[in-house]
Amino acid sequence: MGTERTLPFLLLAPTMLVLLALSIYPLVYAVRVSLQTGASARWSLDNFTRLFSDAFFQSALLHTLVYALMALTCELLLGLGLALLLNHEMRARSLFRAALLVPMMLPPVVVGVVWRLALNPNFGAVNGTLKSLGVNTESLTWTASPRLAFLSVVAVDVWQWTPFVFLILLAGLQAIPQEPYEAARMDGSSAWQTFRFITLPLLKPAILIVLLLRTMDLLRVFDQIFILTEGGPGFATETVSLYIYRAAFRFGNFGYAAAMSFVLLVITNAISLVYIRLLQKQESR
Amino acid sequence: MKKQAARFTIRRFPIRTPKALYHLGMRKRPLSLKTLALALTSILFVSLLSTSCGQNQGDGKQLTLAVNAGVEGDALKQAARDYEAQTGVRINIVEFPYSNLFDKELVDLTAGTGAYDLIMLDDPWFPRFGGEGFLTDLTPLYQKKNLSGPDDDFVQTSLALCRHPYQTGTLYALPYLGNSQLFFYRKDIFEKHGLKEPATWDDVLGSARIITEREAQGAPGGGRLYGYVMRAAQGNAAVADFMPIFWAFGAEMFDAEGRPTVNSAEGISALRFMLELGKSAPPGYSSFNADEVSAHLLQGTAAMSINWPAWIAAFSDPAKSKVIGKIGFATMPGAKKPGQAEIGNWLIAIPRSARNPDAAFDFLVWVTSAEQLKRSALRGNPPTRRSVFNDPELVAKFPTYPVQLRSLETSRPRPRTPRWNEIENAFGIFLSKANSGELSPEEAMNQANAEILKIVERK
Repeated sequence: MGTERTLPFLLLAPTMLVLLALSIYPLVYAVRVSLQTGASARWSLDNFTRLFSDAFFQSALLHTLVYALMALTCELLLGLGLALLLNHEMRARSLFRAALLVPMMLPPVVVGVVWRLALNPNFGAVNGTLKSLGVNTESLTWTASPRLAFLSVVAVDVWQWTPFVFLILLAGLQAIPQEPYEAARMDGSSAWQTFRFITLPLLKPAILIVLLLRTMDLLRVFDQIFILTEGGPGFATETVSLYIYRAAFRFGNFGYAAAMSFVLLVITNAISLVYIRLLQKQESR
Repeated sequence: MKKQAARFTIRRFPIRTPKALYHLGMRKRPLSLKTLALALTSILFVSLLSTSCGQNQGDGKQLTLAVNAGVEGDALKQAARDYEAQTGVRINIVEFPYSNLFDKELVDLTAGTGAYDLIMLDDPWFPRFGGEGFLTDLTPLYQKKNLSGPDDDFVQTSLALCRHPYQTGTLYALPYLGNSQLFFYRKDIFEKHGLKEPATWDDVLGSARIITEREAQGAPGGGRLYGYVMRAAQGNAAVADFMPIFWAFGAEMFDAEGRPTVNSAEGISALRFMLELGKSAPPGYSSFNADEVSAHLLQGTAAMSINWPAWIAAFSDPAKSKVIGKIGFATMPGAKKPGQAEIGNWLIAIPRSARNPDAAFDFLVWVTSAEQLKRSALRGNPPTRRSVFNDPELVAKFPTYPVQLRSLETSRPRPRTPRWNEIENAFGIFLSKANSGELSPEEAMNQANAEILKIVERK
């Protein structure tokens, strides 16, 4: 009779132990590290108060939020458009669908390298193509002027992750039953009305899920930017993750890095909670 | 009733073994899911434990070496193989790309894990590692061998890097690879326009302007040949390419009390000069890193640059270079002060937590001997000993060695501070901002100074 009771615990024990070792312990350790400063590891809130006077951190945070907002908007609009387009019967539909998913399957590091080469102002494919079309590319230094560099990193994210948005929204579209559409047709509703009053409301859960996942990803973006611009020129494309990496592994200041990570965690959680609330509201209706 | 429902009922679902197994007579009765699950989880757990405990234990006959992945580390790896063959000591090589080497070593040193017996380190990291007492003092190890310390053949500027404090302090490392910046220029283009090898930064600017103007179709593909190319991407790149100008203009990063002085009149005029020079550089240079600069030189689209000797080999490689035999090498141009290159040596040190310091020291002395440094030189790494730089066989093979030695002996280290990585990062951001037009030279230097002050003053 003993096994009846202990079995579930026995089965769960290894998982719990691994979880304890690999996530709970590091988290607690990170809290400790963030509350210690200096070589003598004195307990203080210095790492957190420093955030308020660190102009680098503040501008990295601003970049991250603007980056997330811009990329999210573009990805959602483009992904929705593509999903609507490829939801209809058309020739070579499966080919388009497959081709669209390619960027998403590439590791972000590879994406970074590919775009870094493509965006090179002198030897890159982008300016090469533009030049052959007769465009004056002299001032199009994609990763070298602060404004263009920011737009470039956003564009690369949009290029890579729109397919993901598209995929989820397409799945959402296909799950919508046909009946409401038939009814709408009978009632003579216009294409816009059908979209606005049938497709959009029924697609809302899918949209919220995609927003939730993308927001979490965007706020911690690292790889592509690290490869593409390494946060430059100057500080123009530095995000919080990059700055955290720098503080920890370049400057060896793990406490400050941990403190910044917590701030990012809190922000990500707060935004995610909003989405989750909206989703729950949606479901309970 | 409630209790009944909560009970674990997994036992009631036996797994059916595939029929084929019955026929093979391998199982007499169905395997219960319970047994299977328990078996699987325990296997998983045991294997996890065994992998995490599988670290090597030092036994005196084994050394672990952390090296930089790249040409510098390759020569050391080959030397380690030779050493194994000669002495029977086993050497494990752990290789990391440059961008990860510092953090891997820092983590090991701070935690004192003793994972490495020897570490290869870039000299700007040394004040941090040496200053925090992470490394083994080499002098007692020399004394065990009845020696007072390293011999006089080492280039003095290289050996000075291995002491903390700089030049005068405790010896914690030995120099393995003797890089210092060189000035590269296109001899053929200079001759064509009757220009002299630049001795001052004003010569450089004048020549750069002339070449950019006259060679509008001078590049191999018919594009413009730019007079000068530099790295102005934030961080290490911009700072390394700026320091020789900064020093030549008479500017200093810190005063005697250790307070930053980058926004001095000299500092600002040096940055202003850099921007002026940037007008003769390929567009977008403010985001250039080593790759872009080397591409421009190799493709023949830029005529002058500062760089490291590691690049010299590529210029005569037909697969990469369109400028074979056309590149001249010189020491740094001067201005108010004589030109000084930035030194960039690879050092080898023994962590304090090393498991086999004595065996590690034997290897360290062996690998930095004149004989071994010559072998390393033949594998493409500049040495750190004068006798090797002057070796006739090597000079015949590497005609730039005399210039390299002169540059190295007059070179200057980056400021010796444990927070150099952070300071360099901040300084580089503002240099890059000035080069991309975001800030004026005055604004950039004032903001850089304020930021560096914050870093220096932070406890």
